[in-house]
Amino acid sequence: MEQEIRKQADELYRRGLLVFNQPITRERLKLVIELWQKAFELYHKIGDESKAREIEKSLVNMYKRKSIKMEKKEKQRNNVAIKFRDWDLFFKIGCFGFGGPMAVFTLLENELVSRKKILTDKDFLEGAVLGDILPGPVTMDIVTYTGYKLKKWSGAIISTVIFILPAFIFMIILAMVYSKYNITPKVETIFKCLGAAVTGLIVSVGLKLGEKEIKDYRGAGILVWAFTSSLIFKFDILTIVGLAGLAGMLLYPRG
Amino acid sequence: MNTLLKLSWVFLKIGAFSFGGGIVIIPLVESDVVMKYGWLTKREFIDAVTLGQITPGPVVISATFIGYKVYGILGAIVSTVSVILPSFLMICLAAQAIKKFHGNKVLANFFRGARVAVIGMILEAGLSIGKSSLIDFKTIFIAGIALICLLKYKLNPIWMLLGAGIVGLVS
Repeated sequence: MEQEIRKQADELYRRGLLVFNQPITRERLKLVIELWQKAFELYHKIGDESKAREIEKSLVNMYKRKSIKMEKKEKQRNNVAIKFRDWDLFFKIGCFGFGGPMAVFTLLENELVSRKKILTDKDFLEGAVLGDILPGPVTMDIVTYTGYKLKKWSGAIISTVIFILPAFIFMIILAMVYSKYNITPKVETIFKCLGAAVTGLIVSVGLKLGEKEIKDYRGAGILVWAFTSSLIFKFDILTIVGLAGLAGMLLYPRG
Repeated sequence: MNTLLKLSWVFLKIGAFSFGGGIVIIPLVESDVVMKYGWLTKREFIDAVTLGQITPGPVVISATFIGYKVYGILGAIVSTVSVILPSFLMICLAAQAIKKFHGNKVLANFFRGARVAVIGMILEAGLSIGKSSLIDFKTIFIAGIALICLLKYKLNPIWMLLGAGIVGLVS
């Protein structure tokens, strides 16, 4: 009788171990816990305390480690690539990308970081840094980088194409009108008011980001330096970002 | 076909060397499009750039206009793709490379400094756009309302821009 129970318990433990060694999912984890729980009860019943304690320990351990790891993994997967389906967002932003790269940057920041919390501020600013360092319009660079962050190459292609589409269509229509009548439509008053709104937008995001990113006097110093050198000395963006990066390498600790 | 290839080559070149944004490359485009190939007259070229600034999106979208003038819709598609392609590839490769160097402390510090500089330039962009677009009581009022709506009430900026556009259309 006792031997039979022991055999049964051994079998349960072994089956649990087999499942445990496969790639872990929530269902499998549940199964393993169930099997080992039963084995634990059986060992306990026949009075084999040392075996029971052993199982209990591995149960606790596994529960802690695997569940944490799995949750993290699941969160990452859900957060970025799989769940993101709102690619029409890039179309909307493409329609309103007046006022240069910073306007687009702030629109994307608002949607993806502040609202949906899919990307972090750090990801975002890194995209802008790359956009400034690499050739090509910074606006496009930021959009492409965001798409890449969301879904690798396919994301980059989708976001870039969708973003450029409104401007492309608008431009073709304008070109047709221009070819036919040799005039450019007067849309200036609209853009004057848009420019004013964009000013508010850019300042608000600048303040918000500055609050988050600047933690000490070094950051504040670099910020002031970048601001004044682009305002007063009209340095090239590449120079400003490059020098700020070098300053970061010198000022921040290596360890 | 030959024209399409030339068009593509011109804009690939421009896409690959336009550091730091639109306006910088305009002399570069002009020397090829107006002087070398004579695709557009000087006047047409200036209009193309103006339209590029009016339309949403980066100024390089002028490429679409120029492409259309030279070779119709097909020309527009070819030149737009060509002007985007170099920076598209570079940014994707750079994003990939950054991941590999993630543990690198020196690079991390570089980005830490550069990120802050970007914020400084965002604020500067706000100021300089403000200087050219806040010209009367109405525009200052719009900018103030926009700032309050965004910071305090967290309004979606897309709706705010739409509203501002409508105000511009009506007045």
